[in-house]
Amino acid sequence: MEIVPQLVANSIIAGSIYSLVALGFNLVYGVTKFFNLAHGALAVVGGYTTFYFLKYLHLNLYLAVVLGVLVAGLVGYLLDKFIYLPLRQRKASGMVLLVASLGVFTAIQALLAILFSSQFQTLSLYIGPQRIFDLFGGIITQTQLIILVSVLLITILLSWILNQTMFGKAVKAISDDEEVAKIVGINTNKIIGYVFFIGSAVAGLAGILVGFDTGIEPTMGMFLLLGGVIGAIVGGIGNIYGGVLGSFLLGFVENFGIWQISGEWKAAIAFILLTLFLIFRPEGIMKK
Amino acid sequence: MEYLIHLVILISIYSILGLSLNLVVGYTGLLSVAQAAFYGIGAYATAILMTGFGINFYLSLVLGMILAALAAFLVGLVLSKFKGDYYALVSLGFNVIIFSVFLNWQSLTRGPLGIPGIPRPAPPFLLVALAALALVYFFCRFLVNSSFGRTLMAIREDEKAIQIFGYQTHHFKLAIFTISAALAAVAGSLFASYISFIDPSTFSLNESVFIFAIIIFGGLADLRGSVLGALFLILLPEALRFVGFPPDVAAQMRQLIYGLILIGLMLYRPQGLIGRYKL
Repeated sequence: MEIVPQLVANSIIAGSIYSLVALGFNLVYGVTKFFNLAHGALAVVGGYTTFYFLKYLHLNLYLAVVLGVLVAGLVGYLLDKFIYLPLRQRKASGMVLLVASLGVFTAIQALLAILFSSQFQTLSLYIGPQRIFDLFGGIITQTQLIILVSVLLITILLSWILNQTMFGKAVKAISDDEEVAKIVGINTNKIIGYVFFIGSAVAGLAGILVGFDTGIEPTMGMFLLLGGVIGAIVGGIGNIYGGVLGSFLLGFVENFGIWQISGEWKAAIAFILLTLFLIFRPEGIMKK
Repeated sequence: MEYLIHLVILISIYSILGLSLNLVVGYTGLLSVAQAAFYGIGAYATAILMTGFGINFYLSLVLGMILAALAAFLVGLVLSKFKGDYYALVSLGFNVIIFSVFLNWQSLTRGPLGIPGIPRPAPPFLLVALAALALVYFFCRFLVNSSFGRTLMAIREDEKAIQIFGYQTHHFKLAIFTISAALAAVAGSLFASYISFIDPSTFSLNESVFIFAIIIFGGLADLRGSVLGALFLILLPEALRFVGFPPDVAAQMRQLIYGLILIGLMLYRPQGLIGRYKL
Protein backbone atom coordinates (compact mmCIF):
# COMPACT_ATOMS: atom_id res chain seq x y z
CA MET A 1 0.00 0.00 0.00
CA GLU A 2 1.49 3.26 -1.14
CA ILE A 3 1.01 6.13 1.25
CA VAL A 4 0.24 8.99 -1.13
CA PRO A 5 -2.38 7.22 -3.28
CA GLN A 6 -4.04 5.97 -0.10
CA LEU A 7 -4.12 9.49 1.31
CA VAL A 8 -5.67 10.67 -1.94
CA ALA A 9 -8.31 7.93 -1.72
CA ASN A 10 -9.06 8.78 1.93
CA SER A 11 -9.29 12.47 1.08
CA ILE A 12 -11.78 11.78 -1.69
CA ILE A 13 -13.98 9.68 0.59
CA ALA A 14 -13.90 12.25 3.40
CA GLY A 15 -14.61 14.99 0.87
CA SER A 16 -17.58 13.02 -0.49
CA ILE A 17 -19.13 12.61 2.95
CA TYR A 18 -18.68 16.30 3.78
CA SER A 19 -20.12 17.17 0.37
CA LEU A 20 -23.35 15.33 1.11
CA VAL A 21 -23.73 17.26 4.36
CA ALA A 22 -22.71 20.54 2.71
CA LEU A 23 -25.21 20.11 -0.16
CA GLY A 24 -28.21 19.96 2.16
CA PHE A 25 -26.81 22.61 4.48
CA ASN A 26 -26.31 25.00 1.58
CA LEU A 27 -29.81 24.40 0.21
CA VAL A 28 -31.37 25.17 3.58
CA TYR A 29 -29.06 28.12 4.24
CA GLY A 30 -29.90 29.51 0.80
CA VAL A 31 -33.61 29.81 1.50
CA THR A 32 -33.57 30.55 5.24
CA LYS A 33 -30.22 32.39 5.77
CA PHE A 34 -29.47 30.80 9.10
CA PHE A 35 -26.96 28.21 10.33
CA ASN A 36 -29.06 25.13 10.94
CA LEU A 37 -26.88 23.26 13.44
CA ALA A 38 -29.53 20.53 13.67
CA HIS A 39 -28.49 19.50 10.16
CA GLY A 40 -25.80 17.21 11.60
CA ALA A 41 -28.29 15.52 13.90
CA LEU A 42 -30.46 14.64 10.89
CA ALA A 43 -27.59 12.65 9.42
CA VAL A 44 -27.52 10.66 12.66
CA VAL A 45 -31.30 10.19 12.48
CA GLY A 46 -30.88 8.67 9.00
CA GLY A 47 -28.14 6.32 10.18
CA TYR A 48 -30.06 5.10 13.21
CA THR A 49 -33.32 4.64 11.29
CA THR A 50 -31.59 2.33 8.83
CA PHE A 51 -29.84 0.58 11.70
CA TYR A 52 -33.18 0.07 13.45
CA PHE A 53 -34.88 -1.40 10.38
CA LEU A 54 -31.95 -3.71 9.66
CA LYS A 55 -31.32 -4.96 13.17
CA TYR A 56 -34.77 -5.18 14.72
CA LEU A 57 -37.14 -5.57 11.77
CA HIS A 58 -34.71 -7.46 9.47
CA LEU A 59 -35.83 -5.43 6.51
CA ASN A 60 -34.32 -5.69 3.07
CA LEU A 61 -31.12 -3.60 2.78
CA TYR A 62 -32.34 -1.24 0.05
CA LEU A 63 -35.70 -0.70 1.71
CA ALA A 64 -33.99 0.11 5.01
CA VAL A 65 -31.73 2.66 3.31
CA VAL A 66 -34.65 4.30 1.50
CA LEU A 67 -36.66 4.46 4.73
CA GLY A 68 -33.68 5.96 6.56
CA VAL A 69 -33.39 8.71 3.95
CA LEU A 70 -37.13 9.40 4.01
CA VAL A 71 -37.35 9.51 7.82
CA ALA A 72 -34.43 11.97 7.99
CA GLY A 73 -36.19 14.12 5.38
CA LEU A 74 -39.47 13.94 7.25
CA VAL A 75 -37.88 14.91 10.56
CA GLY A 76 -36.25 17.89 8.85
CA TYR A 77 -39.59 18.89 7.34
CA LEU A 78 -41.35 18.64 10.72
CA LEU A 79 -38.63 20.64 12.47
CA ASP A 80 -39.23 23.43 9.99
CA LYS A 81 -42.99 23.23 10.33
CA PHE A 82 -43.12 23.28 14.12
CA ILE A 83 -40.01 25.21 15.14
CA TYR A 84 -38.30 27.22 12.41
CA LEU A 85 -41.40 28.33 10.49
CA PRO A 86 -43.14 29.86 13.55
CA LEU A 87 -39.86 31.62 14.40
CA ARG A 88 -39.45 32.95 10.87
CA GLN A 89 -43.03 34.18 10.81
CA ARG A 90 -42.26 36.13 13.97
CA LYS A 91 -39.27 37.68 12.15
CA ALA A 92 -36.91 36.17 14.72
CA SER A 93 -33.23 37.03 14.16
CA GLY A 94 -30.78 34.52 12.72
CA MET A 95 -29.28 34.18 16.20
CA VAL A 96 -32.60 32.98 17.66
CA LEU A 97 -32.90 30.38 14.91
CA LEU A 98 -29.31 29.32 15.50
CA VAL A 99 -29.86 28.85 19.22
CA ALA A 100 -33.10 26.96 18.57
CA SER A 101 -31.25 24.66 16.16
CA LEU A 102 -28.54 24.13 18.79
CA GLY A 103 -31.35 23.02 21.12
CA VAL A 104 -32.71 20.68 18.46
CA PHE A 105 -29.25 19.23 17.89
CA THR A 106 -28.72 18.59 21.60
CA ALA A 107 -32.19 17.11 22.08
CA ILE A 108 -31.98 14.73 19.08
CA GLN A 109 -28.50 13.56 20.05
CA ALA A 110 -29.65 12.81 23.61
CA LEU A 111 -32.84 11.11 22.43
CA LEU A 112 -30.91 8.78 20.12
CA ALA A 113 -28.49 7.94 22.94
CA ILE A 114 -31.43 7.07 25.20
CA LEU A 115 -33.11 4.92 22.55
CA PHE A 116 -30.05 3.13 21.17
CA SER A 117 -27.38 3.65 23.90
CA SER A 118 -24.24 5.68 23.19
CA GLN A 119 -22.36 2.66 21.90
CA PHE A 120 -20.70 2.58 18.51
CA GLN A 121 -22.71 0.44 16.04
CA THR A 122 -21.61 -0.83 12.66
CA LEU A 123 -24.05 -1.18 9.81
CA SER A 124 -21.62 -3.10 7.60
CA LEU A 125 -22.49 -6.28 9.55
CA TYR A 126 -25.63 -6.42 7.49
CA ILE A 127 -24.08 -6.38 4.04
CA GLY A 128 -21.59 -9.19 4.31
CA PRO A 129 -18.02 -9.14 2.98
CA GLN A 130 -17.15 -6.22 0.77
CA ARG A 131 -15.26 -6.09 -2.48
CA ILE A 132 -12.13 -4.02 -2.47
CA PHE A 133 -10.90 -1.88 -5.33
CA ASP A 134 -7.42 -0.71 -6.13
CA LEU A 135 -7.36 2.92 -7.22
CA PHE A 136 -3.87 3.72 -8.58
CA GLY A 137 -2.34 2.09 -5.51
CA GLY A 138 -4.89 3.39 -2.99
CA ILE A 139 -7.45 0.95 -1.64
CA ILE A 140 -11.14 1.76 -1.41
CA THR A 141 -14.03 -0.47 -0.39
CA GLN A 142 -17.28 -1.05 -2.24
CA THR A 143 -19.14 1.18 0.26
CA GLN A 144 -16.67 3.97 -0.35
CA LEU A 145 -17.17 3.64 -4.09
CA ILE A 146 -20.94 3.91 -3.54
CA ILE A 147 -20.35 7.03 -1.44
CA LEU A 148 -18.39 8.63 -4.27
CA VAL A 149 -20.99 7.70 -6.88
CA SER A 150 -23.86 8.97 -4.69
CA VAL A 151 -22.20 12.36 -4.33
CA LEU A 152 -21.77 12.71 -8.08
CA LEU A 153 -25.35 11.58 -8.78
CA ILE A 154 -26.91 13.80 -6.12
CA THR A 155 -24.92 16.86 -7.18
CA ILE A 156 -26.07 16.34 -10.78
CA LEU A 157 -29.67 15.67 -9.69
CA LEU A 158 -29.81 18.74 -7.46
CA SER A 159 -28.33 21.00 -10.09
CA TRP A 160 -30.88 19.66 -12.59
CA ILE A 161 -33.72 20.33 -10.14
CA LEU A 162 -32.47 23.82 -9.37
CA ASN A 163 -31.90 24.82 -12.97
CA GLN A 164 -34.61 23.02 -14.93
CA THR A 165 -37.74 22.77 -12.81
CA MET A 166 -40.30 25.32 -11.64
CA PHE A 167 -39.56 24.22 -8.10
CA GLY A 168 -35.87 24.96 -8.59
CA LYS A 169 -36.63 28.40 -9.97
CA ALA A 170 -38.81 29.10 -6.94
CA VAL A 171 -35.97 28.00 -4.64
CA LYS A 172 -33.56 30.34 -6.45
CA ALA A 173 -36.05 33.19 -6.26
CA ILE A 174 -36.45 32.71 -2.50
CA SER A 175 -32.67 32.55 -2.06
CA ASP A 176 -32.33 35.89 -3.83
CA ASP A 177 -35.13 37.67 -2.01
CA GLU A 178 -37.89 36.01 -0.06
CA GLU A 179 -40.12 39.09 0.07
CA VAL A 180 -40.06 39.59 -3.69
CA ALA A 181 -40.64 35.87 -4.24
CA LYS A 182 -43.75 36.16 -2.10
CA ILE A 183 -44.99 39.15 -4.06
CA VAL A 184 -44.77 37.31 -7.38
CA GLY A 185 -46.97 34.58 -5.94
CA ILE A 186 -44.56 31.89 -4.75
CA ASN A 187 -45.81 30.02 -1.69
CA THR A 188 -42.49 30.50 0.06
CA ASN A 189 -43.26 28.59 3.24
CA LYS A 190 -44.32 25.52 1.29
CA ILE A 191 -41.20 25.63 -0.88
CA ILE A 192 -38.94 26.14 2.17
CA GLY A 193 -40.63 23.13 3.78
CA TYR A 194 -39.75 21.01 0.73
CA VAL A 195 -36.19 22.31 0.77
CA PHE A 196 -35.89 21.21 4.40
CA PHE A 197 -37.15 17.76 3.36
CA ILE A 198 -34.66 17.42 0.50
CA GLY A 199 -31.70 18.86 2.42
CA SER A 200 -32.37 16.67 5.46
CA ALA A 201 -32.87 13.56 3.31
CA VAL A 202 -29.44 14.10 1.71
CA ALA A 203 -27.94 14.58 5.19
CA GLY A 204 -29.68 11.35 6.24
CA LEU A 205 -28.04 9.55 3.32
CA ALA A 206 -24.66 10.86 4.48
CA GLY A 207 -25.30 9.41 7.94
CA ILE A 208 -26.34 6.04 6.52
CA LEU A 209 -23.29 5.82 4.26
CA VAL A 210 -20.97 6.68 7.13
CA GLY A 211 -22.73 3.94 9.07
CA PHE A 212 -21.85 1.39 6.39
CA ASP A 213 -18.34 2.72 5.94
CA THR A 214 -17.26 2.98 9.58
CA GLY A 215 -20.21 3.03 11.99
CA ILE A 216 -22.69 5.23 13.81
CA GLU A 217 -22.83 6.76 17.26
CA PRO A 218 -25.15 9.47 18.58
CA THR A 219 -22.35 12.04 18.82
CA MET A 220 -21.16 11.71 15.22
CA GLY A 221 -23.52 14.51 14.15
CA MET A 222 -21.11 17.21 15.31
CA PHE A 223 -18.19 15.88 13.29
CA LEU A 224 -20.38 15.57 10.17
CA LEU A 225 -21.91 18.99 10.71
CA LEU A 226 -18.57 20.72 11.19
CA GLY A 227 -17.11 19.04 8.11
CA GLY A 228 -20.12 19.97 6.01
CA VAL A 229 -20.42 23.53 7.31
CA ILE A 230 -16.71 24.23 6.92
CA GLY A 231 -16.89 22.77 3.41
CA ALA A 232 -19.88 24.97 2.63
CA ILE A 233 -18.26 28.16 3.97
CA VAL A 234 -14.88 27.51 2.37
CA GLY A 235 -16.58 26.76 -0.94
CA GLY A 236 -18.87 29.78 -0.82
CA ILE A 237 -21.95 29.62 1.36
CA GLY A 238 -25.25 29.18 -0.46
CA ASN A 239 -23.56 27.89 -3.62
CA ILE A 240 -24.09 24.14 -4.01
CA TYR A 241 -21.12 23.53 -6.34
CA GLY A 242 -18.93 25.63 -4.08
CA GLY A 243 -19.99 23.44 -1.16
CA VAL A 244 -18.83 20.31 -2.97
CA LEU A 245 -15.55 21.93 -3.97
CA GLY A 246 -14.94 23.24 -0.44
CA SER A 247 -15.73 19.85 1.07
CA PHE A 248 -13.20 18.10 -1.16
CA LEU A 249 -10.61 20.75 -0.34
CA LEU A 250 -11.29 20.15 3.34
CA GLY A 251 -11.02 16.38 2.86
CA PHE A 252 -7.61 16.77 1.22
CA VAL A 253 -6.27 19.32 3.71
CA GLU A 254 -7.37 17.18 6.67
CA ASN A 255 -5.97 13.91 5.39
CA PHE A 256 -2.68 15.33 4.15
CA GLY A 257 -2.46 17.44 7.29
CA ILE A 258 -2.40 14.34 9.49
CA TRP A 259 0.22 12.67 7.32
CA GLN A 260 3.01 13.95 9.54
CA ILE A 261 1.18 14.80 12.77
CA SER A 262 -1.21 12.63 14.73
CA GLY A 263 -4.79 12.05 13.58
CA GLU A 264 -6.42 13.66 16.59
CA TRP A 265 -5.57 17.08 15.20
CA LYS A 266 -8.04 16.73 12.32
CA ALA A 267 -10.58 19.06 13.93
CA ALA A 268 -7.90 21.64 14.62
CA ILE A 269 -6.66 21.49 11.01
CA ALA A 270 -10.23 21.89 9.73
CA PHE A 271 -10.77 24.96 11.87
CA ILE A 272 -7.49 26.54 10.87
CA LEU A 273 -8.57 26.17 7.24
CA LEU A 274 -11.94 27.74 8.08
CA THR A 275 -10.35 30.63 9.97
CA LEU A 276 -7.87 31.34 7.19
CA PHE A 277 -10.73 31.50 4.70
CA LEU A 278 -12.87 33.68 6.96
CA ILE A 279 -10.02 36.15 7.35
CA PHE A 280 -8.60 36.24 3.84
CA ARG A 281 -11.49 35.18 1.61
CA PRO A 282 -14.75 35.31 3.58
CA GLU A 283 -16.90 34.84 0.47
CA GLY A 284 -15.35 31.42 -0.18
CA ILE A 285 -13.85 29.89 -3.31
CA MET A 286 -16.94 30.41 -5.45
CA LYS A 287 -18.67 33.66 -4.69
CA LYS A 288 -22.42 33.45 -4.98
CA MET B 1 -27.68 18.26 54.58
CA GLU B 2 -24.57 17.02 52.80
CA TYR B 3 -26.64 16.77 49.63
CA LEU B 4 -27.94 20.31 50.07
CA ILE B 5 -24.41 21.65 50.49
CA HIS B 6 -23.40 19.74 47.38
CA LEU B 7 -26.18 21.41 45.40
CA VAL B 8 -25.30 24.89 46.66
CA ILE B 9 -21.67 24.36 45.64
CA LEU B 10 -22.68 23.17 42.18
CA ILE B 11 -25.04 26.10 41.78
CA SER B 12 -22.26 28.50 42.79
CA ILE B 13 -19.88 27.00 40.23
CA TYR B 14 -22.42 27.18 37.43
CA SER B 15 -23.50 30.67 38.48
CA ILE B 16 -19.90 31.80 37.98
CA LEU B 17 -19.90 30.17 34.54
CA GLY B 18 -23.22 31.82 33.72
CA LEU B 19 -22.06 35.24 34.91
CA SER B 20 -18.87 35.01 32.89
CA LEU B 21 -20.68 33.95 29.71
CA ASN B 22 -23.38 36.58 30.19
CA LEU B 23 -20.73 39.29 29.88
CA VAL B 24 -20.00 38.09 26.34
CA VAL B 25 -23.41 36.91 25.14
CA GLY B 26 -25.80 39.11 27.09
CA TYR B 27 -23.94 42.38 27.42
CA THR B 28 -21.87 42.37 24.25
CA GLY B 29 -24.25 40.36 22.03
CA LEU B 30 -21.59 37.88 20.86
CA LEU B 31 -22.79 34.30 20.53
CA SER B 32 -19.92 32.41 22.17
CA VAL B 33 -20.34 28.67 22.63
CA ALA B 34 -16.85 28.04 24.01
CA GLN B 35 -17.21 28.59 27.74
CA ALA B 36 -16.60 24.94 28.61
CA ALA B 37 -13.14 25.23 27.02
CA PHE B 38 -12.03 27.93 29.50
CA TYR B 39 -13.81 26.13 32.32
CA GLY B 40 -11.71 23.10 31.37
CA ILE B 41 -8.45 25.06 31.18
CA GLY B 42 -9.04 26.30 34.74
CA ALA B 43 -9.89 22.82 35.94
CA TYR B 44 -6.86 21.19 34.32
CA ALA B 45 -4.56 23.94 35.55
CA THR B 46 -5.65 23.33 39.14
CA ALA B 47 -5.61 19.55 38.75
CA ILE B 48 -2.13 19.38 37.22
CA LEU B 49 -0.53 22.06 39.39
CA MET B 50 -1.95 20.68 42.63
CA THR B 51 -1.34 16.96 42.05
CA GLY B 52 1.87 17.22 40.01
CA PHE B 53 3.65 20.17 41.57
CA GLY B 54 2.07 20.43 45.01
CA ILE B 55 1.09 24.04 44.41
CA ASN B 56 -1.46 25.59 46.75
CA PHE B 57 -5.10 25.87 45.55
CA TYR B 58 -5.32 29.65 45.40
CA LEU B 59 -2.11 30.01 43.43
CA SER B 60 -3.26 27.31 41.00
CA LEU B 61 -6.54 29.20 40.61
CA VAL B 62 -4.74 32.40 39.67
CA LEU B 63 -2.42 30.57 37.28
CA GLY B 64 -5.47 28.86 35.71
CA MET B 65 -7.10 32.26 35.20
CA ILE B 66 -3.96 33.61 33.55
CA LEU B 67 -3.70 30.56 31.29
CA ALA B 68 -7.37 30.74 30.26
CA ALA B 69 -7.08 34.47 29.64
CA LEU B 70 -4.00 33.88 27.51
CA ALA B 71 -5.79 31.22 25.43
CA ALA B 72 -8.83 33.47 25.08
CA PHE B 73 -6.65 36.39 24.04
CA LEU B 74 -5.03 34.39 21.25
CA VAL B 75 -8.32 32.97 19.97
CA GLY B 76 -10.02 36.30 20.49
CA LEU B 77 -7.52 38.03 18.20
CA VAL B 78 -9.14 36.12 15.35
CA LEU B 79 -12.62 35.74 16.82
CA SER B 80 -13.16 39.46 17.47
CA LYS B 81 -13.12 40.10 13.74
CA PHE B 82 -16.36 38.14 13.33
CA LYS B 83 -19.90 38.55 14.53
CA GLY B 84 -23.21 36.71 14.52
CA ASP B 85 -23.30 33.23 13.01
CA TYR B 86 -19.59 33.09 12.24
CA TYR B 87 -18.67 34.07 15.79
CA ALA B 88 -20.83 31.22 17.09
CA LEU B 89 -19.34 28.73 14.66
CA VAL B 90 -15.68 29.59 15.26
CA SER B 91 -16.14 29.65 19.05
CA LEU B 92 -17.84 26.27 18.82
CA GLY B 93 -14.90 25.00 16.82
CA PHE B 94 -12.50 26.28 19.46
CA ASN B 95 -14.38 24.23 22.07
CA VAL B 96 -14.06 21.12 19.91
CA ILE B 97 -10.31 21.70 19.51
CA ILE B 98 -9.67 22.28 23.23
CA PHE B 99 -11.69 19.17 24.03
CA SER B 100 -9.50 17.13 21.71
CA VAL B 101 -6.41 18.62 23.35
CA PHE B 102 -7.64 17.47 26.78
CA LEU B 103 -8.39 14.06 25.34
CA ASN B 104 -5.21 13.56 23.33
CA TRP B 105 -2.38 15.34 25.12
CA GLN B 106 -2.01 12.26 27.27
CA SER B 107 1.38 13.04 28.77
CA LEU B 108 -0.09 16.14 30.39
CA THR B 109 -3.79 15.37 30.97
CA ARG B 110 -3.76 11.53 31.13
CA GLY B 111 -6.40 11.65 28.38
CA PRO B 112 -9.64 9.75 28.97
CA LEU B 113 -8.30 8.34 32.28
CA GLY B 114 -8.64 11.75 33.87
CA ILE B 115 -6.77 13.13 36.89
CA PRO B 116 -7.81 11.77 40.31
CA GLY B 117 -6.92 12.85 43.83
CA ILE B 118 -7.08 16.63 43.49
CA PRO B 119 -6.92 18.07 47.03
CA ARG B 120 -9.25 20.69 48.50
CA PRO B 121 -8.23 23.94 50.21
CA ALA B 122 -8.42 24.08 54.01
CA PRO B 123 -11.62 26.09 54.76
CA PRO B 124 -15.06 24.42 54.29
CA PHE B 125 -15.58 24.22 50.54
CA LEU B 126 -19.03 25.76 50.71
CA LEU B 127 -17.51 28.99 52.01
CA VAL B 128 -14.79 29.01 49.35
CA ALA B 129 -17.39 28.52 46.59
CA LEU B 130 -19.76 31.17 47.93
CA ALA B 131 -16.93 33.65 48.44
CA ALA B 132 -15.77 33.07 44.86
CA LEU B 133 -19.31 33.55 43.59
CA ALA B 134 -19.71 36.78 45.56
CA LEU B 135 -16.39 38.14 44.28
CA VAL B 136 -17.22 37.26 40.68
CA TYR B 137 -20.73 38.68 41.00
CA PHE B 138 -19.58 42.03 42.35
CA PHE B 139 -16.75 42.22 39.88
CA CYS B 140 -19.24 41.66 37.02
CA ARG B 141 -21.60 44.26 38.48
CA PHE B 142 -18.80 46.77 38.73
CA LEU B 143 -17.81 45.96 35.15
CA VAL B 144 -21.24 46.29 33.54
CA ASN B 145 -21.99 49.53 35.39
CA SER B 146 -18.72 51.12 34.32
CA SER B 147 -18.20 53.07 31.12
CA PHE B 148 -16.51 49.96 29.75
CA GLY B 149 -19.76 48.04 30.30
CA ARG B 150 -21.80 50.75 28.61
CA THR B 151 -19.52 50.56 25.59
CA LEU B 152 -20.11 46.80 25.43
CA MET B 153 -23.87 47.30 25.39
CA ALA B 154 -23.48 49.94 22.70
CA ILE B 155 -21.53 47.43 20.59
CA ARG B 156 -24.37 44.97 21.07
CA GLU B 157 -27.00 47.48 19.97
CA ASP B 158 -25.15 48.96 17.01
CA GLU B 159 -21.50 48.20 16.38
CA LYS B 160 -21.23 50.44 13.31
CA ALA B 161 -22.61 53.46 15.16
CA ILE B 162 -20.17 53.18 18.03
CA GLN B 163 -17.28 52.72 15.61
CA ILE B 164 -18.17 56.07 14.08
CA PHE B 165 -17.64 57.63 17.51
CA GLY B 166 -14.08 56.37 17.35
CA TYR B 167 -14.31 53.24 19.51
CA GLN B 168 -12.08 50.38 18.42
CA THR B 169 -14.84 47.83 18.91
CA HIS B 170 -12.70 44.75 18.34
CA HIS B 171 -10.46 45.77 21.26
CA PHE B 172 -13.50 45.81 23.49
CA LYS B 173 -14.73 42.48 22.14
CA LEU B 174 -11.30 40.99 22.73
CA ALA B 175 -11.08 42.41 26.26
CA ILE B 176 -14.45 41.09 27.41
CA PHE B 177 -13.82 37.68 25.87
CA THR B 178 -10.52 37.45 27.76
CA ILE B 179 -12.05 38.60 31.07
CA SER B 180 -14.92 36.16 30.65
CA ALA B 181 -12.48 33.28 30.06
CA ALA B 182 -10.50 34.13 33.20
CA LEU B 183 -13.71 34.08 35.27
CA ALA B 184 -14.77 30.75 33.74
CA ALA B 185 -11.39 29.36 34.80
CA VAL B 186 -12.27 30.23 38.42
CA ALA B 187 -15.27 27.94 38.14
CA GLY B 188 -13.02 25.26 36.63
CA SER B 189 -10.55 25.40 39.53
CA LEU B 190 -13.39 25.17 42.03
CA PHE B 191 -14.92 22.23 40.21
CA ALA B 192 -11.66 20.27 39.94
CA SER B 193 -10.81 20.76 43.58
CA TYR B 194 -14.36 20.06 44.79
CA ILE B 195 -15.04 16.88 42.79
CA SER B 196 -11.34 15.85 43.20
CA PHE B 197 -11.41 14.09 39.82
CA ILE B 198 -11.66 15.50 36.29
CA ASP B 199 -11.72 13.97 32.84
CA PRO B 200 -12.26 15.53 29.41
CA SER B 201 -15.94 14.54 29.15
CA THR B 202 -16.92 17.34 31.56
CA PHE B 203 -15.63 19.99 29.15
CA SER B 204 -17.26 18.90 25.92
CA LEU B 205 -19.45 21.00 23.70
CA ASN B 206 -22.51 19.73 25.60
CA GLU B 207 -21.25 21.57 28.65
CA SER B 208 -21.00 24.81 26.67
CA VAL B 209 -24.56 24.29 25.50
CA PHE B 210 -25.60 23.80 29.11
CA ILE B 211 -23.92 27.02 30.27
CA PHE B 212 -25.52 28.74 27.33
CA ALA B 213 -28.93 27.37 28.35
CA ILE B 214 -28.38 28.72 31.89
CA ILE B 215 -27.96 32.31 30.77
CA ILE B 216 -30.72 32.17 28.18
CA PHE B 217 -33.10 30.65 30.69
CA GLY B 218 -32.24 33.11 33.45
CA GLY B 219 -32.09 36.07 31.14
CA LEU B 220 -29.49 37.78 29.01
CA ALA B 221 -27.82 40.98 30.22
CA ASP B 222 -29.01 40.49 33.78
CA LEU B 223 -26.56 39.23 36.39
CA ARG B 224 -29.24 37.96 38.76
CA GLY B 225 -30.64 36.05 35.79
CA SER B 226 -27.47 33.98 35.48
CA VAL B 227 -27.64 32.91 39.13
CA LEU B 228 -31.35 32.20 38.80
CA GLY B 229 -30.73 30.19 35.61
CA ALA B 230 -28.06 28.09 37.31
CA LEU B 231 -30.36 27.50 40.26
CA PHE B 232 -33.23 26.26 38.10
CA LEU B 233 -31.25 24.22 35.63
CA ILE B 234 -29.25 22.44 38.34
CA LEU B 235 -32.28 21.69 40.50
CA LEU B 236 -34.67 20.70 37.70
CA PRO B 237 -32.79 17.57 36.55
CA GLU B 238 -31.95 16.66 40.15
CA ALA B 239 -35.58 15.56 40.29
CA LEU B 240 -34.64 12.88 37.74
CA ARG B 241 -32.30 11.38 40.32
CA PHE B 242 -35.32 10.37 42.36
CA VAL B 243 -37.20 8.85 39.41
CA GLY B 244 -34.54 6.16 39.31
CA PHE B 245 -33.13 6.15 35.79
CA PRO B 246 -29.78 4.41 35.35
CA PRO B 247 -26.98 7.03 35.47
CA ASP B 248 -26.20 6.85 31.74
CA VAL B 249 -29.83 7.45 30.77
CA ALA B 250 -30.21 10.17 33.42
CA ALA B 251 -27.25 12.08 31.91
CA GLN B 252 -28.79 11.89 28.45
CA MET B 253 -32.17 12.84 29.90
CA ARG B 254 -30.58 16.02 31.24
CA GLN B 255 -29.17 16.87 27.82
CA LEU B 256 -32.60 16.23 26.30
CA ILE B 257 -34.22 18.61 28.79
CA TYR B 258 -31.63 21.34 28.16
CA GLY B 259 -32.17 21.00 24.41
CA LEU B 260 -35.94 21.23 24.77
CA ILE B 261 -35.59 24.23 27.11
CA LEU B 262 -33.53 26.07 24.50
CA ILE B 263 -36.13 25.36 21.81
CA GLY B 264 -39.03 26.31 24.07
CA LEU B 265 -37.39 29.56 25.17
CA MET B 266 -36.61 30.58 21.61
CA LEU B 267 -40.22 29.90 20.61
CA TYR B 268 -42.03 31.46 23.54
CA ARG B 269 -39.72 33.65 25.59
CA PRO B 270 -36.40 34.53 23.92
CA GLN B 271 -35.47 36.99 26.70
CA GLY B 272 -35.63 34.27 29.38
CA LEU B 273 -37.04 34.76 32.87
CA ILE B 274 -35.78 38.27 33.66
CA GLY B 275 -33.59 39.15 30.69
CA ARG B 276 -33.18 42.64 29.33
CA TYR B 277 -31.90 41.73 25.93
CA LYS B 278 -33.44 39.56 23.23
CA LEU B 279 -31.20 37.74 20.82
